[in-house]
Amino acid sequence: MQLDEERLREVLRKPAPLGLDIDLQEFKQAPEQRVEYYEDLAQASLEVGVDLDKRSKLTTFLQVDHEAIYKAVQKQFEKDIELMTLEEALEKYEWLREYVWRLRSPYEDKYSAFNALHGKGGYFLRIREGRRIHLPIQTCFLTYSPEIVQNVHNVIMVEPDAEAYIITGCTAHKKAPKGLHIGVTEIYVKRSAKLNYTMIHKWGPSFHVRPRTGILLEDGAELVYNYITLGSVASFQSQPSARLAGEGATLSMNNVVYLERSSDMDLWGEAFIEGSGGRVELITNAVVADRAKLTNRGRIVCDADNGKGHISCRGLMLSDEAEVSAIPCLVSRRMDSELTHEAAIGRISEEQLFYLMARGISREEAESLIVRGFLDTSPMKLPEHLEKGVRRIIDLAVKGF
Amino acid sequence: MLRIENLHVEVGGKLLLREVNLEVGEGEVHVLFGPNGSGKSSLAMAVIGHPSYKLVEGRIFFKGVDITEKPVHERVKLGIGVVFQNPPRIYGVKLKDLLNKLAGERELGDGVLKLIDSLNISEDLLSRSVNVGFSGGEVKRCEIAQALATNPDFLILDEPDSGVDLENLELIGRELSRALRGKSALVITHHGHILRYLKPSRAHVMIRGTIICSGEPDRIFERIVSDGYRWCEKCSLMRRG
Repeated sequence: MQLDEERLREVLRKPAPLGLDIDLQEFKQAPEQRVEYYEDLAQASLEVGVDLDKRSKLTTFLQVDHEAIYKAVQKQFEKDIELMTLEEALEKYEWLREYVWRLRSPYEDKYSAFNALHGKGGYFLRIREGRRIHLPIQTCFLTYSPEIVQNVHNVIMVEPDAEAYIITGCTAHKKAPKGLHIGVTEIYVKRSAKLNYTMIHKWGPSFHVRPRTGILLEDGAELVYNYITLGSVASFQSQPSARLAGEGATLSMNNVVYLERSSDMDLWGEAFIEGSGGRVELITNAVVADRAKLTNRGRIVCDADNGKGHISCRGLMLSDEAEVSAIPCLVSRRMDSELTHEAAIGRISEEQLFYLMARGISREEAESLIVRGFLDTSPMKLPEHLEKGVRRIIDLAVKGF
Repeated sequence: MLRIENLHVEVGGKLLLREVNLEVGEGEVHVLFGPNGSGKSSLAMAVIGHPSYKLVEGRIFFKGVDITEKPVHERVKLGIGVVFQNPPRIYGVKLKDLLNKLAGERELGDGVLKLIDSLNISEDLLSRSVNVGFSGGEVKRCEIAQALATNPDFLILDEPDSGVDLENLELIGRELSRALRGKSALVITHHGHILRYLKPSRAHVMIRGTIICSGEPDRIFERIVSDGYRWCEKCSLMRRG
C-alpha cells in the first residue's frame, strides 16, 4: 500500500481520540547504542514467557529497542516456517506489500501514523500451507534504552490448513522505566488454518503502550487470541479488530489482566462477523488493585447468517480507589444471529472466602486462591507445557496474593 | 466430641436459633430432622463458624475445646468437616487443585485418587472450576470429596441427599457409610432418604429454631413419614404450652 506522507503528518498533529494523548516529542526516536544479547535480557524475556535459553531449540525472534538481535527457525521446521524482519521480507517478496497496512489504517490516529512514518523493526512470520507446528514459536520485544519509542510492525500469515502456536512477550527492561511501545500487528489466518497467539505484556509504571492489531479470518479459520498483562503500565490503549470474512470462522479473544498502582488501561476487542456461521467470544477476566483503572470495551457486529457472538467481562476489585468499566456493544443485522453479553464487577465474595476457609484454608490463602483463580487461563487453549509456564508467570506477578 | 450449650444465634438481628442443646459423642452419628426454614442449616453454619451467624448466647465445645470464638479455619483444623447444602461457585479454582491442597498433596496423591475413584469423580470434573456448571449430584459428590480430603473426625452433612437422583444417592450413601466408620457426624436431612444407608444412633427434631425432641432415629423418622412435621409442631406446641 502506497502511503500518503502528507496525510500521515496531518494525522500526527491531531490529538489521539482514545486514551491518554501522549506527546511523542517526549521520546527519543532512536536508542543511543545498539544492545547485544546478554544474560539480563534472558531473565526479562523469561518473565514474559519467552525462554531465550531455548532459542536454539525453538523458533525465536528477539528484538531489543529497534534491532532484531536474534532470529532463527527451528531446524526441523526450516521448510515450514519463514521468519525474518519485515524490512527483509518486503525486499524479498513484492506481493507482501499488499498485506501491509491492510488490516489497520495508518491514518487511524497519531500513533499509527507515527509508526507508518518512523516504524523500525518487527517481523514477518509465515507458516506454510498445510504445515502443523506444535512446538511454540516465540517472539519477544524488549525495550532497553531509556525514553525511546519502540515502533514495530509485524505481519503473521498462517497459510491454508496450517497450524501454529505463537507466544509473544513484550516487556521493558527495568533499566528503561520510561518509554513508549507502538506495535502494529496484522494477522492473516487463511482457509482452515488454526492459530493460537498468546501475548504476555509486562511494562512499568512510566511506560505507555499502543498496540494496533488487525486480524483477518478466512473460511473455517480458527484463531485463539490471548492477551495477558501483568503489573503496572502508565497508559495503555488498544483496540484489536478482527474480521471474520470467511464462512464458519471462529475467534476466541481472551484477556487476562492484573493491573496495579496507577495504571490506566483502555482495552478493546472488536469483531465483525461477515461470513455465515462465524463464532466469536470476547472474554476478559481482570483483577484491578490500588488506583488502577480499566476500561474494557467489547464490540461484536454481525452481518452474516447464523453468526454467534458472546462478550464476557468479569472484574475483581481489590481497592476502593480502583475503577473498572465494562462497556459491551452488540450490533446485529441478521435475524438468525445470536449475540449475548455478560458483565460482573465486584470484590472478593465473602461467601467464597468462607467456603474455602471452611476447608481449613486461612483467609489470606483463600484470597490468594480466588485472585489467582480469577486470572483463569483455561479458555486460552494452551498446550500443557505453555499453560504451566503461563501459570508460573501469573503466580509470580501476583505473589502478594 | 461436639457439645452445644444453650445456643442462641441471630443473623441480621433476627433470632434463628434459641436454646439449642446438643451433644454428639465420639464415634456417634446423629441425625437432625426438621421442616424447611426450621434452622437446621443455621445450626450447621453456627457450629462451623460463619461470620454472619452471631452467637448471642451459649457456647460450643469441640473435643473439649471452647470453639465459640474461634475463626472457621481453626475449627476445621481441630477436625470438623462440612458438606454444604448450597456451596458457592469458585471461578478459576480447579477442583483438582483444591483437593490436592486440602489433602496436602502436590499432585494427585493416593488419598485424593482413592476419594475421586470411590465418588466417581471424572477427569473432566476435576479440571473444572469448583461448582461451576456442576449438576446436583456432582455438587454433592465433590462436597463430600472436599470434606473427606481433610480427614476430619467430625462431619456436618447438610442435606447430603437433597437434589440428587437415585443413582447418585446410592453412591453418596455407600461412600458416606464407609467414610463415617469410627467418625462422628451430624447429618441434617429434611426428607431422610440418606437413612437408607446411614444408621444414626440418635435423632433430633428442630422446629422454629430449637430442638423439640430427641430419641431413637427409626421411631422418630417413622412418625415424621406417617404424620409429617405438623405432628412435631403440635407436639412442640404442647410441650411449650
